[in-house]
Amino acid sequence: MLTDKQFIEELKQRLTQSGECHEMLRKQGEELQLVNKKLSESEALKSHFISNITNEIVNPFSSILGLSKNIIAAKDTDIVKIKSMAELIHSEAFELDFQLRNIFTAARIEAGEVSPDYIKTDINLVISSIIIAYKYKAEQKQLKINFSFEIDKNLTKDHYFRTDPEKLKLIISNLLSNSIKYSNAASRIEVKAWIDHGLLKVMVKDFGIGIDKKNLEIIFDRFQRLDSSINSLNTGHGLGLSVTKSLLELFNGEIEIASKRGVGSIFTITIPEGDESNTDGYALDGNEFIFGNSEDGVF
Amino acid sequence: MESFENIIKTHYLYPAALFAESEPHLVDTILGSCVAVCIFDPVKKIGGINHYMLPFWNGTGLASPKYGNIAIQKLVEKMLAMGAQKENLQAKIFGGGEVIETKSNHFKIGERNIEIAEKTLAEMRIKITGKSIGGKQGRKIRFNTETGVVLMKLIQKQNA
Repeated sequence: MLTDKQFIEELKQRLTQSGECHEMLRKQGEELQLVNKKLSESEALKSHFISNITNEIVNPFSSILGLSKNIIAAKDTDIVKIKSMAELIHSEAFELDFQLRNIFTAARIEAGEVSPDYIKTDINLVISSIIIAYKYKAEQKQLKINFSFEIDKNLTKDHYFRTDPEKLKLIISNLLSNSIKYSNAASRIEVKAWIDHGLLKVMVKDFGIGIDKKNLEIIFDRFQRLDSSINSLNTGHGLGLSVTKSLLELFNGEIEIASKRGVGSIFTITIPEGDESNTDGYALDGNEFIFGNSEDGVF
Repeated sequence: MESFENIIKTHYLYPAALFAESEPHLVDTILGSCVAVCIFDPVKKIGGINHYMLPFWNGTGLASPKYGNIAIQKLVEKMLAMGAQKENLQAKIFGGGEVIETKSNHFKIGERNIEIAEKTLAEMRIKITGKSIGGKQGRKIRFNTETGVVLMKLIQKQNA
C-alpha cells in the first residue's frame, strides 16, 4: 500500500507526464497540419499540372492529326503547301517528344529508377546537335543562337568528356527551350561550353524577360510556373527545371542562375566527369556511338 | 571513308543467326530487345557476331542460336575453329532495350537477354570491353570483323 505522501508524488509525476504528452501531441498535430497543407498544395499543383498536360499533349496531337489529314487530301502539285504542313507537323511532334521525355524522366526519377550511364562523349557534337534541333523553333521567333566551345588542352583524347550524353542532352535542351520561350523576338541566345579544372561548364544566356529575385528560389519546384499572364501565351508544364535539377544532382552537378527582370537570364551548369566506365565506347552526338578506336565516321 | 566500305564486304545479320567468316566483313544488324554479342580476337583479327532473341533454350525443339546461351557458345566454338585463341577473345554486347512498353514485369526479355550474355561471358572468362545495353531505344550496329570496331546508332522513336 502507498502512503498518502507517496500517492501525491505519484499523482504529480503522472500529471507532468500527461502534460508532456499533451504538449507533444499538440506539436505533432501542428506538424500534421503543416504537412497536410503542403500535401493539399501539391495536390492542387498536381491537378493543375494534369489539366496543363492535357493541353500539352492533346493540342499537338490534334494539330498533327489535322495537318496530316490535310496532307493526305492535298493535291500532288501542291508541294509548297505540303512542305509547310510537314514542317508544322515536325515542330509539333518535336515539342511533344520533348515534353514526354521530361515527363517520363520525372516519373523515373521519382521512382528511383534513374542512374547515369557514363561514356566518353563529344560535348561539342552533343550541344551542336541540340542547337540544330532547336534551330527551327528559334527561327520562328527570329532568334539567333551563338554557340562557342572552348577546348581545354588538358582534356583527354581530343574533347571527349565522360558523362551520360542522353541525360546531358535533356538538361541542355530544357535550358535552351526555356531561353527560346522567354526570349523577346528577334534577339539572341548565347550558349557557351568550356572545361574548368576538369569540370564541364555550360552557359545558356538569353536577353528575355528575366526572373524576379523572389521567384528564383521556386523555379526548381515541380509544376511551378511563374507569371500566370504568360501561361496563356507559352506552353509548358513546369517540370523542365525540376527535371534538370534532379538530373544534375544525379551527376553531382550544380546549376547557377543570374537573372534580372527585363534584362535576361544566365543559367550555368557545372558537371564533374563521371566515373570510369567499363566500355571502350565514344558517344558522338548522343545518338551515334563508336566502340573501339576508329577514325571512321559513323555510317 | 566511302572507298574503304566499298572494298570490304557487307552482311546483314538476321535475328537468330550468327556470323563468323575468315574474310573481313561489315556486319549490320538491328536490335530491339534482342542482344548481339560481338566477339573479337585482336591478335588474329578474327571477329564474329550473333543476334539472339531469347535468353534460354528450354531443352525442347532445336537448340538454335535463337537462344542466348546457345548463340554465345556456338559463336565462340566457331571462332576457335577458325583459329582464334580463347585467351585473346574480347566481347562487346549491345541491345536488350525494353522497346515495347509493357505493364507487366514478368517478361523483361531485354533485361534477361543482357543477364545471360554477361553471365555466359563471365563463365567463359571472356572480357567485356564495350557495351551499350538496356534503355528504351532500339539500336542499329555495324561490326567490323577485321578491326573489332562497332559503330552504333540509337534509333529514335521520333526523329528530332
